[in-house]
Amino acid sequence: MNSHLSAEKRSFLAEQAYQIRRLALEMICYSQWGHVGGSFSMADLLSVFYFHELRLDPLHPRWEGRDRLLLSKAHGSPGLYAALALRGYFPIEQVYSYCELGGLLEGHTDMKRTPGLECSGGPLGMGLSVAVGIALALRIKEEPRARVYCLLGDGECNEGNIWEAAMSAAHYQLDNLIAIVDYNKVMAKGLVSQMMRIEPFSAKWTSFGWEVLEVDGHDLDAVASGLHQARWIKPHGAPIVIIAHTVKGKGVEMAEFNYKWHTHAPDPLTADQMLRELARNYGFPEQGYSRIDSPVKKETFYGGE
Amino acid sequence: MAESKPPEVQEMRDAFGQALVELGKQYPKIIVLDADLNTSSKAVYFKKAFPDRFIQVGIAEQNLFGIAAGFALTGFIPFPSTFAAFVSRRALDQIAISICYPNLNVKIPGSYVGLPTSRAGASHNCIEDITIMRALPNMRVADPGDNNDLRAIMRTAMETEGPVYFRVTRLTLDSIFPPDHRFEWGKGVIVRAGRDVSLFATGMMTSLCLKAASLLEQEGLEAEVVHLASIKPIDRDLIAESAARTGCAVTAENGTIIGGFGSAVAETLGELQPVPVRRIGVCDRWVDSGGIDELFTLHRMQPADIALAAKEAIAAKRVRHPQSL
Repeated sequence: MNSHLSAEKRSFLAEQAYQIRRLALEMICYSQWGHVGGSFSMADLLSVFYFHELRLDPLHPRWEGRDRLLLSKAHGSPGLYAALALRGYFPIEQVYSYCELGGLLEGHTDMKRTPGLECSGGPLGMGLSVAVGIALALRIKEEPRARVYCLLGDGECNEGNIWEAAMSAAHYQLDNLIAIVDYNKVMAKGLVSQMMRIEPFSAKWTSFGWEVLEVDGHDLDAVASGLHQARWIKPHGAPIVIIAHTVKGKGVEMAEFNYKWHTHAPDPLTADQMLRELARNYGFPEQGYSRIDSPVKKETFYGGE
Repeated sequence: MAESKPPEVQEMRDAFGQALVELGKQYPKIIVLDADLNTSSKAVYFKKAFPDRFIQVGIAEQNLFGIAAGFALTGFIPFPSTFAAFVSRRALDQIAISICYPNLNVKIPGSYVGLPTSRAGASHNCIEDITIMRALPNMRVADPGDNNDLRAIMRTAMETEGPVYFRVTRLTLDSIFPPDHRFEWGKGVIVRAGRDVSLFATGMMTSLCLKAASLLEQEGLEAEVVHLASIKPIDRDLIAESAARTGCAVTAENGTIIGGFGSAVAETLGELQPVPVRRIGVCDRWVDSGGIDELFTLHRMQPADIALAAKEAIAAKRVRHPQSL
């Protein structure tokens, strides 16, 4: 596939992907809750989406003609929140309100609370149906340029609701709908292939009537090209799925391909080491955990005053 | 043809289908979604009137409600239509998180509610929908007493931002309200005044409570019948005020008494006006196949059962408050 990225753009996207991982880990460590693995695996996808592909306007988040990206794997919220903050939907400082009572950023996505979110989520398997509804509605509204993207997890494709949605998207020939699977091969408590196999994955989508593309989800050029094809070249009466092959926890060795980092918050010293490693791996000046001196939050219950 | 029946002898589902068409004319943003039940629910009337605004999703209720959320997010007002059993059981997570959590403007009709469904058996005789739907934050719940009440509920639902669940029975109900009847959230109506006992009813049970009140009248007892179509929010003031005057209460609903309408009334009475309460409804049992009248007898939900419960409540009042004898 041809690259659509200039060297300058590529390096800009690489920096955003690094910053997405960095902010995601900052917020997970500060709140002592969240999903590192799935936030890191889709960081490059989010970078290309928010800084290259999506037609949107952070100053007018509800602009009708915008592209919509729905995060069906809503536990990946730290990654998405980081991308939204970097894209200007809210001040970056707000990432430290993640999971805080009254904060801007819920543990799982709450569209009423966070600017830039297109749906609320948490239970897996539900986002693609909502995306189908939006795609149908945009067709009725005659918004041909707007695209609806749904970012799915691989493990959540165990859910029957995904395949109900897939069937209906093909039935209605929704070529304004593009699903992207963050195929990181690892779910919460084990490997997808061992917990509940989804292969032959590409063939499943094909048999459901979808156009299938497969890309390396950490190759910015490949992701950009895939999204370019999905928007401009592939739409001819079928929904499109991009299977993005990724590595869970990509960026920090101890978290990579490791289900123990699906939901796990590092202590500040570990986070500091992880962030320094992240900087080295992506070629940025070494920078540790910014709130290493803050007291570590512990779950406590005092029973009131 | 059902469509040509005069309103007073019309099955409620027909009134529903026709009301959808009327609202469809007024509100171009209404989209009706169906999961292969439109000739049963009578959403088929809308399909015929507005084929471009009717979406068939096949037998896939989770998808039905997800797609409805998508339409609401894009500025439409969707009516995802299926049987109440599949609303409350099959698609609960989608309704809760995709629709109620973000307070989306989705209007959910639950068809074929309670006992008078058909002979389909426990899988389809939906008794737990009130209980489940009223537990969801942001959700409003209503059960109409007759066809005019249903039309009023649907009109008000269109003027209400946010999710609404309303019940549609298959039965032909007695007419209680005039064509210009208005429905307001959180407002009940005293449909018969009385001083000895308050019969709090919702949905089709209001008709049966009126019959029970006539039975009680023959025994010299004056029952007040309060129709509470709005189950959530519920008219707490009217419930407390009526119970304060009568001193005891019976609740009646076409569904389980666990966590449903009777529970909502009892919660209100417990907090504002404690009086003896008896509850009429399905008592922790599945509703098996059978004739409608047989089922109402089996589950002790006939007017005579309501009258008996009223007398029990009145007796309990006298035991608890001997000075009022």
